[in-house]
Amino acid sequence: MPPMPSASAPDGRRASPEMGTEPSPIPDRRVHSGDVAGPRSSFRWNQGAARRLRDAAGVGRLWRFRWPLLFISPFYLLFAIFGVYPVLFSLWLSLHDWRGIGPMRYVGMENYRFLMRDELFWSSMLNVVILFFIYVPLMTVLAIVLASLLNAGFLRLQGMWRALVFLPHITSMVAAGYTFRLLLETRSGFVNQALGVFGLGPVAWLDDRWLARVSLGLLMIWAWLGYNTVIMLAGLQTIPVELGEAARVDGATRMQAFRQITVPLLRPVIVFSVTLSIIGTFQMYTEPLILTGGGPIRATETPMMQIFATTFANLKFGYAAAMSYVYFAIIVFVTLIQLRFVSRGDVA
Amino acid sequence: MNKHQSPFNHFATDTVSRRDVVRRTSRGAIAVSLAGALGMGVQTAKAKSQDADLSGSLTIWGWEAALSSLQVVDAAFNEAYPNITLEYVQKDTSDVYQQIQLAASAGSGFPDISVIEDSHLAQFAPLGILADLTDQVAPYLQIMNDFKWNQAEVDQRYYAMPWDSGPVAVFYRRDVFEQAGIDPESIATWEDYYNAAKTINEELGVAMLHLAKARNDTRTFEILLWQQGLGYIDAEGTVILDTESRVQQTLEYLGRFWQEGLAADTESWTDAWYQEMADGEVATIPGAVWMGTFLKSFIAPDAAGKWGVFKLPTWGPEGSQASNDGGSSLAIFQTTEQQEAAWAYVEFHLGRVESQLEMYRETDIFPALETTYTDPLFEEPDPYFGGQPVRALFAETVGNIPDAGIYSADYQEMNSLLGSELQRFAIGEQTAEEALKNAADAIRERTRRS
Repeated sequence: MPPMPSASAPDGRRASPEMGTEPSPIPDRRVHSGDVAGPRSSFRWNQGAARRLRDAAGVGRLWRFRWPLLFISPFYLLFAIFGVYPVLFSLWLSLHDWRGIGPMRYVGMENYRFLMRDELFWSSMLNVVILFFIYVPLMTVLAIVLASLLNAGFLRLQGMWRALVFLPHITSMVAAGYTFRLLLETRSGFVNQALGVFGLGPVAWLDDRWLARVSLGLLMIWAWLGYNTVIMLAGLQTIPVELGEAARVDGATRMQAFRQITVPLLRPVIVFSVTLSIIGTFQMYTEPLILTGGGPIRATETPMMQIFATTFANLKFGYAAAMSYVYFAIIVFVTLIQLRFVSRGDVA
Repeated sequence: MNKHQSPFNHFATDTVSRRDVVRRTSRGAIAVSLAGALGMGVQTAKAKSQDADLSGSLTIWGWEAALSSLQVVDAAFNEAYPNITLEYVQKDTSDVYQQIQLAASAGSGFPDISVIEDSHLAQFAPLGILADLTDQVAPYLQIMNDFKWNQAEVDQRYYAMPWDSGPVAVFYRRDVFEQAGIDPESIATWEDYYNAAKTINEELGVAMLHLAKARNDTRTFEILLWQQGLGYIDAEGTVILDTESRVQQTLEYLGRFWQEGLAADTESWTDAWYQEMADGEVATIPGAVWMGTFLKSFIAPDAAGKWGVFKLPTWGPEGSQASNDGGSSLAIFQTTEQQEAAWAYVEFHLGRVESQLEMYRETDIFPALETTYTDPLFEEPDPYFGGQPVRALFAETVGNIPDAGIYSADYQEMNSLLGSELQRFAIGEQTAEEALKNAADAIRERTRRS
């Protein structure tokens, strides 16, 4: 999870002035642990230890903290083995030609050079950009609307509605993907049969490049709307009710209050949710694999699918590692740009 | 064996296991040469007398259909080798390959034996993870379908034992042909087949075959190429998609079905695909022998008597009627300490006529072992196919399947690159010539082939 937006998200109301003055993530944690007393208080202790460690110089001081260090060591050891080592090994690997076994042949920047003019890779990158614009704006708006409804005082059985909205997200993506595939089948699928009742169709949902992308977007919205709604809901609940009431007293309509008060205050949460959607879209793998197999004619093939095929079908481990690195750099770049633009500087 | 001892030392994460592998390998080498000495030229009878006291526990990877077929003869195997216990691990086909890959990268974690499709075998054989079976398979080189050995061979050494072949014929709906007034016997060439397609389409509005457009999986095209001894590459490994005119002619032939609406545009292996076959919405299926098994067992089990089979139409009057689609082999891993027991298993299941016949009878997996073809089983009429002795028909053509440059070490990649270009041709975005040129260029660029 990206640290910056998550730090600011749950308390949107005090976003601007404080955030600007606190560049490091550690003080943010203090804000949190202050909010949530009790179990989280261990954070405060850790953080104190960390600061004392920073101040300390020399092995003697280290020795003094041997027990705390020992207790926190499992995470760092595991992280080093399963996190740091693969990342560094991939970098090394990306400079080589390797079939997954046997000697690695050093090729320098050759993999990166080939990647720069690899049409398949860049067209898959274009695919995810297109997919992003197909479903993320719509999903984000729907999430805000749904979250507002779920947050509304007049709604009965709130818990049930929230559970229902979130339910698709915890459904197995493989099962959901196959179900969508059956529903969208050109000749026998339920969607086309339903359209047929109104004299429409049949629509070749999965046989046409653009329709297949739209179908994939629908699946993504179905699967991720609930998740984003819950994030928005958490944001909404941090906005004091008094602000809306005050606006209403001053004569604003419900709609005006929503647009002028709620949405602006919700902006850090929206930024957070869109950031996650960017990362999620770029990492899309299971959804297109099940629904379209990347087709038709590679129209829904994503970089992740290419990286996987390059590794396991084509046995080009070095090239796949180079793809991963370039693609990682692009995600970071896009995320930073998005934070800059959308947040107008109050988060980034 | 020696050249395969090095591959495990590319990064020094775990010296112990590397040493372990080398030790195991050298022991394996001894076992192999021993088994080779015993096994030369001898066939099934030797098993009982000499190897009955072989012991061990073998782990075998494979997917459901393959494993249940192997298990058919396990009772007999246990009788012959009472001290060898078998452990089958069932996985999805793609998981088998991925996990072999992962084991290869890790240098450990292999099973003793795995089922491998020929489409993937050529990729694994050169990696140095499969045991060299050259001595053991020597007695079988002449009595297995010749084309099967290509995928198992690297530099005249053999790394797998062939199991089943996928001889191709045309499955057809008797009722559709009757209504259209077409005698299947009259279809001798692919030109005849095309004319029949037009008649059937005009008279009945029924599609001649399944041939997806934007979601085509290239399989039918590959079958037609294989029939002519063609493929992605020639015997030297040079890409021929855009240099061999018959490849282009073949693709243009398929193009006529797309352009004239004679084929059903349904993606393979989907529910709609199965359903249309079951409902008789396609008149024919140019498919491998296992397609008949699928029809019988789960696609259209109620359609007994409705389907028949005729041999592949030829390209020109003198052409071959034989092609292949699919097929699998068994490979033993180099790391196993039980080379001898593993080979006993492989030979008992795939090299023994009785085993192959029983597996064929029970699970309908077509033997590559040619000494089985004389058995009366092949002459039996098949009630599902209207009493036609279908097995004999396949046995007649299987021996003529030519060598073709379809399954090679980089088949997966070439297939994927051809696929999208072929799809663009199918929906009319480019000509057959452009499609093949683009595919060939992409393959040359990515595989360093010429």
